[in-house]
Amino acid sequence: MPMKLVKTESENELEVERILHAKRYSLTLDRNLCVGCEICKTICPREAIEIKIVPKVNGEKAKQPIIDVDEQKCQYCGICNTLCPFGALKVRVDGEHVISVVKTESFPQLIRDIEVDTTKCDLDCVECEKACPLEIIEVSVRTPDGKEVSDIAKSKKKNVSVHVDIKTDLCPSCRLCEMQCPEGAVRVRKMFHGVMKINQEKCPEGCQDCLDVCPITGALYLGDNEKVHVNELYCIYCGVCKLVCPEEEALELQRTSVHHTPVRSGAWNKALEKLTSTTEMTKELRAKGSMKARGSVEKRLAYKEVS
Amino acid sequence: MSEEPRVGVFVCHCGLNIAGVIDVEEVTEYAKTLPNVVLAVHNRYICTAPGQAEIRTAIKEHKLNRVVVAACSPRLHESTFRRCITEIGLNPYVLEMANIREFSSWCHLSTPREATNEAKKIVKIAVAKARLLQALETIEFPVTNKALIIGGGIAGISAALDLADMGFKVYLVEKSESIGGHMAQLDKTFPTLDCSICIEGPKMVDVSRHPNIEIISYANILHVEGFVGNFRVKVRKNPRYVIADNCTGCGECRDVCPIEFPNKWDLNMGVRKAISLPFDQAVPLVYTINMDHCIECYKCVDVCGARQAINFDQQPEEIELNVGAIIVAIGFESYLPYTDHQYGYGKYDNVITALEFERLILAAGPTSGKVIRASDGEKPHSIVFIQCVGSRDVNKYEYCSGFCCMYTLKHAVMLKEKYKDDIQIYIIYTDMRSDFKGYEEFYNRAQKAGVHFVRVKLENRSVTEDPGTKNLIVHAETEGDQPVEIAAEMVVLANAAIPVQDAADLAKLLNIPIETDGFFVECQPKIRPSDTDIPGIFLAGACLGLKDIPYSVAQGSGAAAQASTILSRSTWIIEPFIAKVDEGICSGCKICKSVCDYNAVQIEKTHEKELAKVIDGLCRGCGTCSAACPTGAITMPLYTDAQVIAQVRAALEEVM
Ligand SMILES: Cc1cc2nc3c(=O)[nH]c(=O)nc-3n(C[C@H](O)[C@H](O)[C@H](O)COP(=O)(O)OP(=O)(O)OC[C@H]3O[C@@H](n4cnc5c(N)ncnc54)[C@H](O)[C@@H]3O)c2cc1C
Repeated sequence: MPMKLVKTESENELEVERILHAKRYSLTLDRNLCVGCEICKTICPREAIEIKIVPKVNGEKAKQPIIDVDEQKCQYCGICNTLCPFGALKVRVDGEHVISVVKTESFPQLIRDIEVDTTKCDLDCVECEKACPLEIIEVSVRTPDGKEVSDIAKSKKKNVSVHVDIKTDLCPSCRLCEMQCPEGAVRVRKMFHGVMKINQEKCPEGCQDCLDVCPITGALYLGDNEKVHVNELYCIYCGVCKLVCPEEEALELQRTSVHHTPVRSGAWNKALEKLTSTTEMTKELRAKGSMKARGSVEKRLAYKEVS
Repeated sequence: MSEEPRVGVFVCHCGLNIAGVIDVEEVTEYAKTLPNVVLAVHNRYICTAPGQAEIRTAIKEHKLNRVVVAACSPRLHESTFRRCITEIGLNPYVLEMANIREFSSWCHLSTPREATNEAKKIVKIAVAKARLLQALETIEFPVTNKALIIGGGIAGISAALDLADMGFKVYLVEKSESIGGHMAQLDKTFPTLDCSICIEGPKMVDVSRHPNIEIISYANILHVEGFVGNFRVKVRKNPRYVIADNCTGCGECRDVCPIEFPNKWDLNMGVRKAISLPFDQAVPLVYTINMDHCIECYKCVDVCGARQAINFDQQPEEIELNVGAIIVAIGFESYLPYTDHQYGYGKYDNVITALEFERLILAAGPTSGKVIRASDGEKPHSIVFIQCVGSRDVNKYEYCSGFCCMYTLKHAVMLKEKYKDDIQIYIIYTDMRSDFKGYEEFYNRAQKAGVHFVRVKLENRSVTEDPGTKNLIVHAETEGDQPVEIAAEMVVLANAAIPVQDAADLAKLLNIPIETDGFFVECQPKIRPSDTDIPGIFLAGACLGLKDIPYSVAQGSGAAAQASTILSRSTWIIEPFIAKVDEGICSGCKICKSVCDYNAVQIEKTHEKELAKVIDGLCRGCGTCSAACPTGAITMPLYTDAQVIAQVRAALEEVM
């Protein structure tokens, strides 16, 4: 059978496949998880990902952009898979979830650092679950043998405990759960750091497209002046807002660092540079002291170090 | 030679070949009457030693300065008599042959009177030209004693090793990353079932180790200039992004590389890493980064470490080679029957081509030798082989691809011997061709092994699929128009072998002809089977007609022997038949350049005007330019206008 490069699309999923006689690769995009933020497009080393802005219909809310993957260009390296904050992309080889760049230590993984001290939890509190804008937290009360207790009032006296299940793979670390927890039981460390500003002069009055597409409740809000403001406490710096903003200079987004597992990789340096900036990337390199990798990057990219 | 012409005419009897029909006495007497003829004699056999001695004596005694030999065709003995007259000090080009045998006695056997008259006329024409003959000098060129072989398949490898063993320096230019060609892709070879790479691999290594051979792989021929003994060839080495001299072939880079891409060597059935070899036995053993797939993580750079073999900045490099002879051995390609919809190739998962099957059954192949279906990874219990897919089809490739019958028998025998009764093999064929040493016996072996042979018509064959099971049904018709249907879990197509895609471009660079079917043309199919029309350029292997391995090897050696006849000389001599341009008359119109089939005319700019210049080594003396030149500036020294006109005049005058 000759090689086949296939793309299949359904309402909830986009799948590209490379089917060989002896091996099969696939990349799936879960449209329900994807927010159209452009991070995957930015870091794809083969420029296989495109983003389509959905034209706005008058009177309707702005829609999140739509991702498209080119089955001719995708190399199934898994870089998009490791960097998607929402866990919307998945690479499989022969049906198994394999991220080859991670397996060969050619690329870091995001560190999704969320800790919940359930000993502090109140038995009938579900604030974190309610706070999560992506609905990936599930709070339950369980008996020691793991059985879920439905009627908490009845079993209050018994030896039960609170379980907080978080689908960490899908968590972009917005900290809403942390902030809403009345007991201070949750601790979240952000994956992306940066600066986000809304230039109030440029921000068009009455427009709230950015707010419409922002996946994190409360990261953007409408101020008294009918213009959008940002709460950087919750902002995950995904950038979907910037894609739909009609005013070029109204929104300023600059990522400064990414929380990731340690690695020495040219591909990562390049990705980091695209995600943040040359300065930030060099900073990280300097911090690592990996002079050689830096040298090779400088040679490749042919720029002088920015001091 | 300004002195008065003194022509001697020597009429040959050629035993009774001439004298049995023609009155040689009368022809001789007639010759004596022709202007400037000072001597005319006849002799039973002029080409013999005494005959030649008579010519030499006569030249001396009669102070002859032009010689006409009225005998047989110049193709046969012109060179004999040229040599003969030089021995007594005459210039070889003051000789003219009058062919009274082929042109008269042989074609007027029953009419001796006419034959004699015709012979007289032929002699008259020859004398008319002889009076105007001028002494000419041969042209000598030094010969570069190096060879270029284009294409590193088994034919090119054989040629390279033979020439290198004879002591000549050989450049072997190969388009892909490794030499080896198709033979390195095969599992076993018919009719002996030797492991293909086990017999070719050592030869490939011999090539890489031979002190006289330089492999230039992953390279393209850009430009060819010059002529026999003196070719200048420009070659582009494509960047591997790996420094060949530093690469130890250890493979550590491949192990850390995260990226896999479809391996063309495996016909995209399996994968290779973005930094890798196409196959383990590749020669030269130098890794290559495929930039169409690399994500530049530099893991390879890290692991290569102090060896420093990886260079992401490598650029293509152009080199120039000077060689005396060129052998073209670029092999063939496979026709992929996507557009022959009836076979379902590309549509049905379990329809594959023969070369794909070859990779499938190969232990080092993408499935480690497991014959499995693409649809479910299961071993098929029945396989139908369909012969002549694209070949012997007037609408596709009219020719027979030559080796398909034999490789299909090979596949059938291998399957039967491996899986015994667990597999049913059907071969749908029209004619079985097994006409070489040991091949018919191999056909018998397949029959004894229980392979089913089903003879059908070439037309109306097709394949359909059951979409549920992905099993196939092969439909055909017998010679008696009876329908045949065979169920199969896999179908293997014997797809046509076709000329290499860039064969036409290469032909243009080398100025050698290609056939309408796209294969190169030999100069004479029977007695000069590996020569081209261009001296110094030879052909070998499947690129000039499909042939199997033994025949390709033999032809590679044959071409090497041919090339050595040039390379072993210090100079190459050509006869002075080449066109001469009179610079005073040439108007620089370039018509000559446009009509020359051999790229032998160059236009040179002087300070006043443009002038045609003939490159001696390339000119074949055809005279086209001379005929086309509107100002008459181009002369053919062996056929000057004055000579030709004198001949025409003589021909048109009545013989008294
Ligand atoms: C499926 C299959 C099975 C076969 N089984 C057998 C068998 O069992 N026994 C047998 O005797 N024969 C077999 N054959 C036939 C065998 O493959 C050929 O006889 C043999 O490969 C011919 O050798 P070659 O050197 O002429 O050409 P090739 O093997 O085609 O080699 C040509 C080389 O030239 C290179 N090249 C092409 N173009 C250029 C260019 N422009 N510049 C530089 N290099 C170039 C190619 O990359 C290649 O390396 C089989 C063929 C097929 C298709």
